[in-house]
Amino acid sequence: MDLSSLIGFGDAEDLKSSEGIQRLCQRINEREKQVNENLAALLSRKLTLETKVDACLIKHQQLFKTSVSDDSKKLADMIGHTADLAEKVSAKVRRLDTARTRAQEAQQRVDDLINLQLCSQGVMTAIKEENYEIGAGHVKRYLAMDKKILEKTADDVSSMTSVNQAVDTLEKAAKEMREIVKVKLDEAIKKNDLASAERFFKIFPQLGMYDEGISKFTSYLCTKLASKAEKELRQSMDIAKAEKRIQVAFADTFTNLLENVLRVIETNQPILESYYGYGHLLKMVKVLQIECDEETRKLMQDFNKNRLIQRRTNQINDFRKNSANTSTSTIGHLRKASGSIDKLNAKDLDALIAELTIMHSRAELYVRFIRRRVTNDIEKCFANEAMTEDEKKKEHELLETTIKRSQLNILMQDLLSTYLRFESYFMEESVIKAIHLDTYEQGQLCSSMVDDVFFIVRKCIRRSIGTQSIDGICAIINNGGACIEQEFVNALKNILKAGYPSGYIDLAQAYNAFQSSIQQGKIQTSDSEIARTKFLVTLNNADKSIEFIDALYQNISEEIKVAFPNINPLKKEMIESCLSGLKSVGDSMKTVVESGMQQLRNSAIKPRINPWIDQFQSFNHTLTDEELALYEAGETFIQSLIVQLDGLLNSFKKVLSEKNYDILVMMLASDVTARLERVIKKTVFDRNGGLVLDQEVRHLGTFLTGATSWTVRDKMARLTQIAIILNLEKISELFEYYDPKNQEGPFTVWRLTPNEIKSILKLRNDFKIDEIKKLQL
Amino acid sequence: MEDYKFLFKVVLIGNSGVGKTCLVRRFTQGVFPKGQGATIGVDFMIKTLEIENSTGQSENVKLQIWDTAGQERFRSITQSYYRSAHALILVYDISCQPTFDALSDWIREIQEYANPKVLKILVGNKTDRDDREIPVRVGEEFAKAHDMYFLETSSKQGENVEKLFYEIAAELIEQARRQKGGLSRTHHSSVTNLGMKSNISNFQSNCCSGSGSNNN
Repeated sequence: MDLSSLIGFGDAEDLKSSEGIQRLCQRINEREKQVNENLAALLSRKLTLETKVDACLIKHQQLFKTSVSDDSKKLADMIGHTADLAEKVSAKVRRLDTARTRAQEAQQRVDDLINLQLCSQGVMTAIKEENYEIGAGHVKRYLAMDKKILEKTADDVSSMTSVNQAVDTLEKAAKEMREIVKVKLDEAIKKNDLASAERFFKIFPQLGMYDEGISKFTSYLCTKLASKAEKELRQSMDIAKAEKRIQVAFADTFTNLLENVLRVIETNQPILESYYGYGHLLKMVKVLQIECDEETRKLMQDFNKNRLIQRRTNQINDFRKNSANTSTSTIGHLRKASGSIDKLNAKDLDALIAELTIMHSRAELYVRFIRRRVTNDIEKCFANEAMTEDEKKKEHELLETTIKRSQLNILMQDLLSTYLRFESYFMEESVIKAIHLDTYEQGQLCSSMVDDVFFIVRKCIRRSIGTQSIDGICAIINNGGACIEQEFVNALKNILKAGYPSGYIDLAQAYNAFQSSIQQGKIQTSDSEIARTKFLVTLNNADKSIEFIDALYQNISEEIKVAFPNINPLKKEMIESCLSGLKSVGDSMKTVVESGMQQLRNSAIKPRINPWIDQFQSFNHTLTDEELALYEAGETFIQSLIVQLDGLLNSFKKVLSEKNYDILVMMLASDVTARLERVIKKTVFDRNGGLVLDQEVRHLGTFLTGATSWTVRDKMARLTQIAIILNLEKISELFEYYDPKNQEGPFTVWRLTPNEIKSILKLRNDFKIDEIKKLQL
Repeated sequence: MEDYKFLFKVVLIGNSGVGKTCLVRRFTQGVFPKGQGATIGVDFMIKTLEIENSTGQSENVKLQIWDTAGQERFRSITQSYYRSAHALILVYDISCQPTFDALSDWIREIQEYANPKVLKILVGNKTDRDDREIPVRVGEEFAKAHDMYFLETSSKQGENVEKLFYEIAAELIEQARRQKGGLSRTHHSSVTNLGMKSNISNFQSNCCSGSGSNNN
């Protein structure tokens, strides 16, 4: 475009000098200002026009419709005219804008040319003077220029040859520089000269050799790591001996190994970021990981050899196979701690398991560090818009595959597998041992195995949290549940299977004898006494276990929450599912308690209480007033019953856990009430008899309520209602208590059916059968 | 809280590369993931199904699906899931004889670690492939001999995948009912309950091989 005509100056300026262009630019700016002013003036006119339009409108109203169409036509013309004008002006502005960008571009080109000259002159001297940083700086400036524009400029400009010459020089210099830094870096590496290696490493990106620089330099760092690791591995046992850390010698060495790698990343990341920019860390990590893998492999080889991992694994596997073969069924079989010579002692594994845990957690932390650093680096690069969304995604995937495919990862999976095998074996064997070494101290409710078993399981699960592996934790939680259920629950069941011997005629007496013999420190307990104690202690053990399982569940949940604050929801649900599996073992335990308590009921409660209650029938329940007074003065049925029941319950109160005792009282309450109901139905009452019964039922209710913290009203309901019926003055009084249409009487719900009510009414010899039959219930 | 009446744990096992993960993904997400890497440890997925019960009402059943790694290295992790499983799906690849040959080893694993009355299903996967090596009949017979259900599936084409899981859910509900009139929302205790010497498993492999209704 002809700039001068646009601007309106005849004399064409010299566009070949920077100053000329500057001047031209200035002039263009001035012109733009002018045009803008014009435009503003026009726009202000437009405003007046608009007021005029308004005036026209008013006139139009005043003059009716006479000249409206004329006026509007004129107005339309005027508006059209204004629009035309405005468009013309804005076209000019647009052209001015284009002109300005071109002027800027031209300026850039000139700058480039000047740079080119400078660079080409500087680069050679820099190389000659071995001032590589400056030389590389020149090359960098050259590389930053747009090659195509440069060539075009060369075409446009008259001094074409000089431009081309400069470009050639720079191309040559760049090539030379690249060679030199490569050689120099190699030399520095050979000489193990970290300072010069770092110096040349920093030059690489200036020459556009990002990947090469990183890979060369990182490889160098790897060799340094390798020699360090070798030395450390050789000395590890000596150091461990000196520091008395033999038990965790390999964990220490492994920790050092990983820390060394991380330290390399830590120290070199700032250099990488400031000289290479963001988005290059992964390349470095990939190279370092190969070295880390190799060192880990060597260490694990030593570890496996030194700690006899293979032999111990075989021992465990053989043992499992044998015990699986000898037992008829795996589940429901209590494995005996066999005395075979080749059997691995669980206790010997304890320290090794701890070491495995440490090693695995170190690797997890290492991976977490790497993942966090690289992810941040990628994100920063993306934030600087040096990376597209797709590239970012690819980089993240690359990071994950690098981690996943690393030898370290695979070795750690093997290590975790070893850990799980050892830990499960340790847990099972220790639990079995705890069950076998069960001891009971007189006066205690529970025996040692409850505390021991839960201590072991808890210890193992807590230790698994130390591995930092969700999979590992879940597996140990699962195995813990299995272990409690298969070994412990079955052990309890086996003891209960023997039953509760009921050889004594008077149990209370037997227990008193038992208690007194304890107090005197004499061990005169007979076999059946021992069996009885064992039975009751086992019931208490089971009850305590229910508590322990709940506590274990709570504790472990809490600890996992603390150990993994940022756990993802799916993993969280995974752990919760495993934990609820553990919790459900409590249900198994509850059925153990239930069946045990049933056994106790059948052998210790029912046979005792039935004859006591049957005494009821030997009392006369048709009494004259004198007889009634006499009866109440002597020892009543209920008094002796309560004394007997009290004795029975007391014999259990001290030896059963609180919850089990409550269950026993409830069982007793249902048995007593049921039996009593049966004998009542075989007895004939009169008014006084009913009165006595009502009192006696009340006494019984008070006694049972006092015996337990739970409510027994429910158990007493039927009996209370029977007593009410038998205590009626006359039949019609029934309806004060019983309303067939509305059950909201003094008793919300009647437990007796209308037929039952009628048959109970018939027990009263003074109620007429006809009247009872006529009752509408 | 989600509303569901039953919760069952289903565990998939079988050699590496037979398509366990694809089977689960097809069922839970309706996709056939390509270039899936080997599973590490265990993967965990949840799907809630609506199943019509015998009285014609629909009930929500929550399936927790544990997709285990087939590689030996993860065996000590995966084995720990057998005990609490309500159903075990043993998968092989119909176009790969070694995966079928390994089944007896898997059966041994099940016998050692799983609950004796766990529901077992044998699945021949990859029916879309035309280089079949295991005839349907051979799979069926193996299943019958080991008291398992049998079904052939294709995760790629989605064939029988829904059916597999729906039948499992229906059967498990049935079992739960038989046991004690239904376990509603108890924490999968019913199967792990003790006192079960039951030698049930009289449910022969009739359901899946026949013209069983497809509950899609």
